[in-house]
Amino acid sequence: MSVIHDLGYQRYTGPRRAAGTRWRVIARQQVASAWQTWWRFKAALGLAVIVMCSACAILLLAGDRKSSLGRAQSFVITLQDTVLPESIIWFCRAGFVLTLTTAATVVASDRQSGAFPFYFARSVRPRDYVLGKLAGTALLAAAIVAIGPLVVSLVRLGLTESADELRGQLPIVGKAVLLGVLTTLAYTAVPLGFSALLGNRRHAVALWAAYYLIAGQSLYVLGREVWAPLAAFDLPRAIQAIAYSLFDLGFRAGRDVEIPLGVAVGALVAHIVVAFAVLAIQIRRAHTRGVGAA
Amino acid sequence: MIALTGLTKRYGGVTALAGIDARIEGKIIGLLGPNGAGKSTLLKCLLGLIPYEGDARVLGLDARTDGAAIRDRVGYMPEQESLLVGASAVELCTFAGELSGLPRVEAMQRAHAALYYAGLEDKRYQPVEAYSTGQKQRVKLAQALVHDPELLFLDEPTNGLDPRSREEMLALVSELPVRRGCAIVLSTHLLPDVERVCDHAVIMTDGRVRFVGTIDELRGARGNEELAVEVKADAQKLADALTKGGARCEVTSPTALHVAGVTTTQVFAAARDAGVQVRGLAERRESVEAAFLRVVADINGGPPPVAA
Repeated sequence: MSVIHDLGYQRYTGPRRAAGTRWRVIARQQVASAWQTWWRFKAALGLAVIVMCSACAILLLAGDRKSSLGRAQSFVITLQDTVLPESIIWFCRAGFVLTLTTAATVVASDRQSGAFPFYFARSVRPRDYVLGKLAGTALLAAAIVAIGPLVVSLVRLGLTESADELRGQLPIVGKAVLLGVLTTLAYTAVPLGFSALLGNRRHAVALWAAYYLIAGQSLYVLGREVWAPLAAFDLPRAIQAIAYSLFDLGFRAGRDVEIPLGVAVGALVAHIVVAFAVLAIQIRRAHTRGVGAA
Repeated sequence: MIALTGLTKRYGGVTALAGIDARIEGKIIGLLGPNGAGKSTLLKCLLGLIPYEGDARVLGLDARTDGAAIRDRVGYMPEQESLLVGASAVELCTFAGELSGLPRVEAMQRAHAALYYAGLEDKRYQPVEAYSTGQKQRVKLAQALVHDPELLFLDEPTNGLDPRSREEMLALVSELPVRRGCAIVLSTHLLPDVERVCDHAVIMTDGRVRFVGTIDELRGARGNEELAVEVKADAQKLADALTKGGARCEVTSPTALHVAGVTTTQVFAAARDAGVQVRGLAERRESVEAAFLRVVADINGGPPPVAA
């Protein structure tokens, strides 16, 4: 037996932080662990930066060029005004990469590695765990899907040539923020909900990817061919539809489906609510089963 | 330290804990019982994780209403693997300390100290997933210690360890009350571990506590401690003398016998009277394993020998 070291141990007599602050610790750990490896967060962040820089470059180079959008309806709109709503689908793609590497594995990883006793044998309540994981994942997702559109909107403001034009363009910042918040919520809650469904992180990622890519695309095609509201259950299309509505581009040339704003928001909210419910129920179960379970 | 009054837990029609009344004190307490005895359910109740009937108090706190406060003062080392993907031992233990309410800097310092204590000082920056079974057990012990608990629940801490690692783990466990002043509840199936480190024992079967007391009480619960006597010759002669005095004797060889129901003074007196020279005398104690089996067996055949 090697010598036992105690490094001058003394009993801790200082204050302990309130139980209500534990979610912040979990959120911070969530962000820190995602930052550690290049492929978990940095890869998606890199994609988002490329999208953002591309959008800004188009804004700078577009000048007074007209967009092809609305041509079918003989509606004239500048390319600068379409860059932000058009770019949102690309930010969503970067967001999807983040969900594959991080968000869709969060709860499944903890279940697979037996981490629930680690949390729940301490003064961590199920709501602290859920809130912490949501907040941590939301911070990561916001960096991908919310910051980019905000920066693009600010660059658009910077290109205005008069105070009147600036005042006229000011609402796009608020719209970009609103869009960013909605997209962040969707790309946080829904993959987290999927991660809570299965106890194996690879299976959870596969299920989420299948839902996002296959089910989403299938619903979109069904919406196009059969009943338009079905298309709103394709997450990126629903977000894009909201973006078009917010930026007064509630139309689209070509074969795409026009999803009404209410339907798109409803589908998004339904996704988020169901995901929250799944997350809360699964964590509640884990709380009572996780400790001392033989 | 732990006080239970009428503690009852039912899962549907199944009674996991059947009205337990017990006061549990000690430095290292072995929680023993076969699978399904209710040990895990008892731990969950004590940590305030599941609702129950009756009353359970841990460190003077009500487990029903003060569960979070109890968990801040209690450390738990789970039996199963309980790690975070991608985290090093230092990160894991720091996170554990913060989750138990320690400020970040304090948590980090204590994480290093706990890992030193657990003997992982040179491996503490490596990802925990790459650790051997023995090292993972040590990390689990360190994360249970990091927030400076007053009471530690250790669930099968030597599971899957080779003999050397097991000895080292038991040495760490047995040093904890001395070095850190914390009491330990050791839930295990390995009775030699209990014999090696515990001073108290709690035996459970079928959701009931069958024995609470010191290890000595457990061994002596049947009231017939034995002496192993070694003589120069004529062991049978001494046995006859002692039997006349009411002792129970078993001659194992011409120079050795086991005696029960007498004191050492009576043995020496009988030897002197019989003219037999005593060359050795030792208390022959029942092993914890034998005592446990006896307690469990007695439950089916008669009233449980509860000592306290």
